[in-house]
Amino acid sequence: MPHKKYPLPPRWVSKFFQWYCHPDYYEDIEGDLLERFESGLEEHGLKNARWNYIKDVVRLFRPGIIRSLEISSRINHYSMFKNYLKVGYRNILKHKGFSLINVTGLAIGIACCIIIMLYVQNELSYDRYHKNYNQTYRVLQTFRSAADPGSLPPPAPEEFQVWGCAPIGPALQADFPEIKSFFRFTSPVNLLFQYQNKKFQEDNMVFADSTAFKVFSWRLISGREETALTKPNSIVLTQNVAAKYFGKNDPLGKTITIDQTKSFVVTGVMEDVPHNSHFTFDGLISMTTAHNWRTEIFDWWGYVDFYTYFLVDEQANIAALAQRIPDFVKRHLPGWQDNTIAFEPLSDAYLYSVAARQPGAMGSLSNIYMFSSIAVFILIIACINFMNLSTARSMERAKEIGIRKSIGAHRHSLVVQFLLESILLSTISAILAVALVSIALPWVQELSAKTLDLSSLLSWKSVIAFMGGVFLIGLLAGSYPAWILAQVRSAQVLKGTFKSSSKGAALRKSLVIFQLSLSIALIAGTAIVFSQLDFIRSRDLGFTKEQMLVIDFGWDSGVQEQLNIIKAEFLRHPDVHSIAASRAVPGNFLPDAGTRIESPEGAMIMQSPGIYEIEPDFVPTYDMQMIAGRSFSANIPKDSTETLLLNEAAMRLYGYTDPSEIVGKKFSQWGRNGIVVGVVKDFNYKSLHTKVEPLALRFAPVGALRHLSLQVSPENITKTIA
Amino acid sequence: MSKHHLGEFEEIVMLTVAILADEAYGISIIEEMENRLDRKVSIGALQTVLRRLEKKGYLSSRFGEATKVRGGKRKRYFMLTAYGKKVLTEVKEQRLSLWNAIPQFSTSY
Repeated sequence: MPHKKYPLPPRWVSKFFQWYCHPDYYEDIEGDLLERFESGLEEHGLKNARWNYIKDVVRLFRPGIIRSLEISSRINHYSMFKNYLKVGYRNILKHKGFSLINVTGLAIGIACCIIIMLYVQNELSYDRYHKNYNQTYRVLQTFRSAADPGSLPPPAPEEFQVWGCAPIGPALQADFPEIKSFFRFTSPVNLLFQYQNKKFQEDNMVFADSTAFKVFSWRLISGREETALTKPNSIVLTQNVAAKYFGKNDPLGKTITIDQTKSFVVTGVMEDVPHNSHFTFDGLISMTTAHNWRTEIFDWWGYVDFYTYFLVDEQANIAALAQRIPDFVKRHLPGWQDNTIAFEPLSDAYLYSVAARQPGAMGSLSNIYMFSSIAVFILIIACINFMNLSTARSMERAKEIGIRKSIGAHRHSLVVQFLLESILLSTISAILAVALVSIALPWVQELSAKTLDLSSLLSWKSVIAFMGGVFLIGLLAGSYPAWILAQVRSAQVLKGTFKSSSKGAALRKSLVIFQLSLSIALIAGTAIVFSQLDFIRSRDLGFTKEQMLVIDFGWDSGVQEQLNIIKAEFLRHPDVHSIAASRAVPGNFLPDAGTRIESPEGAMIMQSPGIYEIEPDFVPTYDMQMIAGRSFSANIPKDSTETLLLNEAAMRLYGYTDPSEIVGKKFSQWGRNGIVVGVVKDFNYKSLHTKVEPLALRFAPVGALRHLSLQVSPENITKTIA
Repeated sequence: MSKHHLGEFEEIVMLTVAILADEAYGISIIEEMENRLDRKVSIGALQTVLRRLEKKGYLSSRFGEATKVRGGKRKRYFMLTAYGKKVLTEVKEQRLSLWNAIPQFSTSY
């Protein structure tokens, strides 16, 4: 027995026992345990003995045996921590000014970070609330035409557009069994809604397929998801709009009069479309309504007014689906060699899409990267600031360190002390930062035009991440001062010969330089952004926008009939210089129209420029310049149906370089045939972010007018409005 | 109730320590109790009671010599203190007086 090497009980169990056992009792109880283990080994074998050993150790884990806290060595640390915190707290109070600068500096840095994080998180959260987020795709289409069909190269991603035709949805579902359902909606229609005496122009209502609630996860408050949008003339309103007409009454089943002639029945009320959706609307009108109004467009592959989204089943492979697109196009559109379609996931819709004609405003990926890096920079600056202020003050703390060292403080415990102090400061800063953010949030929302909510960061994950971040900032900001201060030699301090080291000063100086250059970079960046915004505001748009008053009468037929009388009435006012009616005004939404114009070679080319429908007064009222030909004239009767104006971009689109050449060429557009009579200098009718796109100006037909533009004297503009 | 209250298990442990005289350490106490009383006792249960009794002053302890078995760990021998003996005797007398007070049992006794 003595010389044989015996197996031992599990090591980790022994360690555990040693860890918790009262040190005074450890030796003999461990001896008893081993004795039992050894005898058990002989009688019952190793496995049994081990098991009994574990059982005994577990049963020994009770109050009489466990080492008591009072004499544990951990308690010493605890009281030291208490001391550190107390000294830290007193230091903060002793140097109020210093602490204030330090804490507020860090707090502002953290607050900026939180706000930027809120913004970024909001941008990244778009459309994610949809249950089928990862299975929803949308159809992109191209609408190109070439003089020589089939000669165009495959379209670039930018040439696709989201806005497409109606028949593609049903055709896709018929050809691709993987597509569970599709959902189409139109661009917003403008309708005058009336319920009893409440009358509003609604311009964000869309026609939508009955599959709306199957494909997207909008919540219906009342009404049935399956049937709400099946019958013609039914409408689902958002909560906000419903409240506008019906107040607290139940809108379900009520009738709304549309444009004073038709009527819709409310078949559902839905929660407002979440602000983080890549398109929004105020209400859904059943697609069958549109079908009744204009049945023919549902078979026209060239009529563009629909956004098509579809849902695939879980096993579907979108890449495999996309490979079958050429077949699909060939089967349905044999004549369209130059055009095709593409699928785009819903997850790309807000940030990654490059397609034209989006159904709503897009986010900017580069903004997200830019803001995130700014957040990091700000935090680094705040940390460096904090470090410098702390180290600069090291002289004052030197005496304390000297004394602590001479009574036996280890270097590492001094480091711990200073780290703890800076974590204390960073925690105070973090609390202050949260307060700052909640105060500043309303302004930030106004600035960013986003609904940002602090509660979106209130999940346990982000709270832990935030606390971890604060802790890390404390460590980071405290690391350098702690390291420098812990190096102080006690003998020097106590003899009074302590000088701050030159090495520390050099590092401090370089940190200041780094910090300043970061700040300058940020300020320069801000200046550039500001000048860009200034450019947008002050750049010559190609038309007079100053002192322009725009009245939106929303196709009110009463106004349209009396238009000439109204215009004459306005012109009698001394400050109104001129007045013009049109369907859209610069900056507005406008449709595209397929337009054929004779090319320089004599062939009729089909293109789709945007259109403005205007009255003859429009061009002079906006001070637009004719660079060739003439404008519309009210005195030439033929102008109203047989003439067309183009802008420079449209002229180039049809292959002309000299504006005078295109004047007199034949055109056909939307049922009108005639000649191009003039070319307008390009004006920025959409946005300065895009280049000026081709535009055709056509004489407005009766009933197509919506806006009145008045050019008035700037001096008493407010008086004129009154 | 006497000011020296002893629990049932405490009493048995003290009696066993008294029986084993100079040989009372953890394992031997457990074995003795198992043999005499047919009762399973864990080291944990015993050790807590031993320490408690020692703290109360009923028991004292000393280390034995280190040996090659038990991983070289010394044994801790327990013995009754004079105070402990007194308390144990008191308990016994209390019990006896109770027994003697029972009329039926006393006739057959």
